[in-house]
Amino acid sequence: MNPLEAVEIARRQMTLFFLVDTSGSMSGSKIGAVNTAIREVLPTISEISEENADAAIKIACMSFATDVNWLFAPTDVEGMTWNDLVAGGTTALGAAMKELNRKLSRSEFMNSPTGNFAPVLFLMSDGQPTDEFQKGLAELQENKWFNVAIRVAIAIGDDADKEVLAQFTGNSELVLTAHTPEALKAMIRFVSVTSSKIGSRSSGVGVGGNAGEESKQAEFAEQVQEFKEENADLDALTDGF
Amino acid sequence: MKKLKPNTQVPLTNGQTAKVKSLLGEGGQGAVYQVAIDGKDYAMKIYTKKPKKNFVDNLEENIRKGSPTPHFLWMKWMVKTPTLIGYVMDLRPKDYVDFSKFLMAKARFSSWSAMTNAALQITYAFRELHRKGLSYQDLNDGNFFFNPKTGDVLICDNDNVAPADTNLGIKGKCRYMAPEVVMGKSNPNNLSDYFSLSVVLFMLFFNNHPFDGKRVSSVPCMNDAIEREVYGINPIFICSPTDDRNRPVRGVHQNVINRWSLFPKFFQDAFVKAFSNDLIHDKNKRMSDNEWVGIISQLRSQTIQHTCGYETFIDLAAPKATCFNCGKEVTMPLTLKIGSHRTILYPQMKIYANQVSSSADMFQEVGEVVVNKNNPNVWGVSNRSKDSWRVTLPNGQKLDVPQGKGFPIYKDVQIEFSAGKIGKIE
Repeated sequence: MNPLEAVEIARRQMTLFFLVDTSGSMSGSKIGAVNTAIREVLPTISEISEENADAAIKIACMSFATDVNWLFAPTDVEGMTWNDLVAGGTTALGAAMKELNRKLSRSEFMNSPTGNFAPVLFLMSDGQPTDEFQKGLAELQENKWFNVAIRVAIAIGDDADKEVLAQFTGNSELVLTAHTPEALKAMIRFVSVTSSKIGSRSSGVGVGGNAGEESKQAEFAEQVQEFKEENADLDALTDGF
Repeated sequence: MKKLKPNTQVPLTNGQTAKVKSLLGEGGQGAVYQVAIDGKDYAMKIYTKKPKKNFVDNLEENIRKGSPTPHFLWMKWMVKTPTLIGYVMDLRPKDYVDFSKFLMAKARFSSWSAMTNAALQITYAFRELHRKGLSYQDLNDGNFFFNPKTGDVLICDNDNVAPADTNLGIKGKCRYMAPEVVMGKSNPNNLSDYFSLSVVLFMLFFNNHPFDGKRVSSVPCMNDAIEREVYGINPIFICSPTDDRNRPVRGVHQNVINRWSLFPKFFQDAFVKAFSNDLIHDKNKRMSDNEWVGIISQLRSQTIQHTCGYETFIDLAAPKATCFNCGKEVTMPLTLKIGSHRTILYPQMKIYANQVSSSADMFQEVGEVVVNKNNPNVWGVSNRSKDSWRVTLPNGQKLDVPQGKGFPIYKDVQIEFSAGKIGKIE
C-alpha cells in the first residue's frame, strides 16, 4: 500500500444504547414516534461522529417486550439504516436489565481494540415492568460500565413508571416525560444528539483537578434541565397519546 | 440565543451592515453565518453567550493588529450591539478540507511535498504569530484546513489568540495541551504552544497521536482523569527509543507503523527529542517554531521526485538510498551546502529565496535542478532569482550566472549567492 494513503486514525469507541419498550401498549403512535425520531436523528449523530477524530460513535439497540432482543450489536452510525421496531407483548424490563449487564463487558459489547468512552444508556418505556425489575436492576448496578455511563430515560405517557426509570438513571432529573408524539420525537432527538456530543468528546483541560465521569454526566444533566425549562410547553402542541 | 434569520441586518462597528444569508455552522462558543457586506460574501461569527469584557477587548485588539500571516483566517470587523457580539472574517475557500478528514482517511495529500508544505506553512505561521508577541493557546486538530493538492494551510478559530501570558479563560484540549497547563501550574502561552505544535506536526506526518499506543488503547473505559494522565501529565512517546511501554499496536496504529521508518533519521530524531521526558516536562527546553522550520525545510530539501513517478526521501546519513515506492536503489546524489542546510541536487529539486538571499521567504522558488536537454546525465541548477550568482568551478574558472542561466553540478563547485551566502557542492 502506498504509505501516503493512510488508514483511519485509531478512534476510541462511544456506544449509544437505545433500550426501547416494545410492549403492546407502545403500538401505534408511540412506537411510530420512536421509529421516526431515531431514523431522523441518525444522520445527525453520524455527522457528529464524522467530525470527531477522537471518537467513533456506534449505536446498539435492544427492544424488550415479552422477551429481550438485541436488534444489533454496537454498529458504526456512519451509513446506518434503521429498521422499524414493532410492538407487542408484555414489559420484561427486569430481563432487559440482566441482558444489558451481560453485554456491558469487555468480552462482549465493550470489546473495541481502541478502547471505549463511557457509553450512553437511553431507556424508553410507557408502562410498568411485568417481571422482576428490582432483581435485574440490582445485578446491573454492580456493573462498572453501568456506573460510569451517561444514563437517561423517557417516560412515554402517564402510565409509565417514572420511579422505576429514575432508579435506572439514578437521578429523577434525568427522566423526561413525553405526553405527545411531537414531544417524544423532540426529546429523543435532543437526548441522542446531546449525549452523543458529550459522550464522544475528548476531555478539555478546564481548571485542573476536577476530573472523572461526573463531569460528563453532570454536564449532560445540566443540559437536560435547560431543555426541560426551555420546552415546558412541548406537550401542548398536539394531541396526546 | 436564537439563531439569526436570513435577511437580518447586523450593524458592524465600522459603520457597514452585514446581511445574514444562511447559517454555516454551530460550535460550542457560537454560530457562524454567511453574510453579505456591500455585495461581497463573508463569514460572521456570533457568540451564543455574551463573552467577558477582556475577551471582547482582545478581539478588537486582534482586529486592530491584523493577521500575522495570510494563513490565519483572521477577524476583520467587529459586531458589537446590545444583543450581539461577534466578528466578520473571510469565507473559507471550498477547496480547503479540515484536518480531521485527513486523520480519518477521508482526504489525503497528493504528495509528500504537499504534506511537507503544509507542515512548513503551519510552523512559519506560528513563528510569525509568536514573534508578534502573541500566543495561540488552543492549538488542536480542529483549527487547521488544508488544500489536499498543494498543502496550503488555513488556520481558523483565532478567537483565543492573545498576548503571551494573557489568558482569556481557554485552557485547551487535553490531547494537545502541555502538561504544565493540564496540571493547572500555568496558563497557556508560547511554550505550551510549542508542545501543541509538535503534537500537531506528528499527527500530520504519521496520522497517529504521538501518545496513542498500546498503553492508551488498552484502557477499557477512558475518562477525563485517565486522559489527563496519559496525554498530559505522564505521556509516553510511542516511538521512544528507550521506553517501549506504549508501542503502536498492529492493526490499530497502522499508519505510524507504515510510515515511521520511511523518514530520514534526523527527522525521526526531531520527534524523539520533542517528545523526550525532558522536553515534555521542561517547558523552557521545548523546540521552538523556528527550530521546526529548519527541520521541515531540511526534509523538503531531501524529498526527491524519483524516476518511478513517486516521491521518496533520501537519508543523507544512510549508507545508501532506496526509493521506498519502487524499491530501486538511488545513486546518492550530490548536495548543495549553504550554512548548515543541505539541498539534494536531483532533478526538480528547488532552491528557495531565504536560502540564497536576504529575503525571509522560504516558499518562493528561485532555483531548480534541471536536466541538460542534450545529455540527461548532465544536471545543472537554473537561476530563477533576480540576483546574479557568481560560480567558481573546480578548475578555478569563474562564471557569472544571471537570471535565466544555469551552472553545472559537479563536486566542489562553489557559488556566491547574494547577501554573502556561500554554497558548496559536496
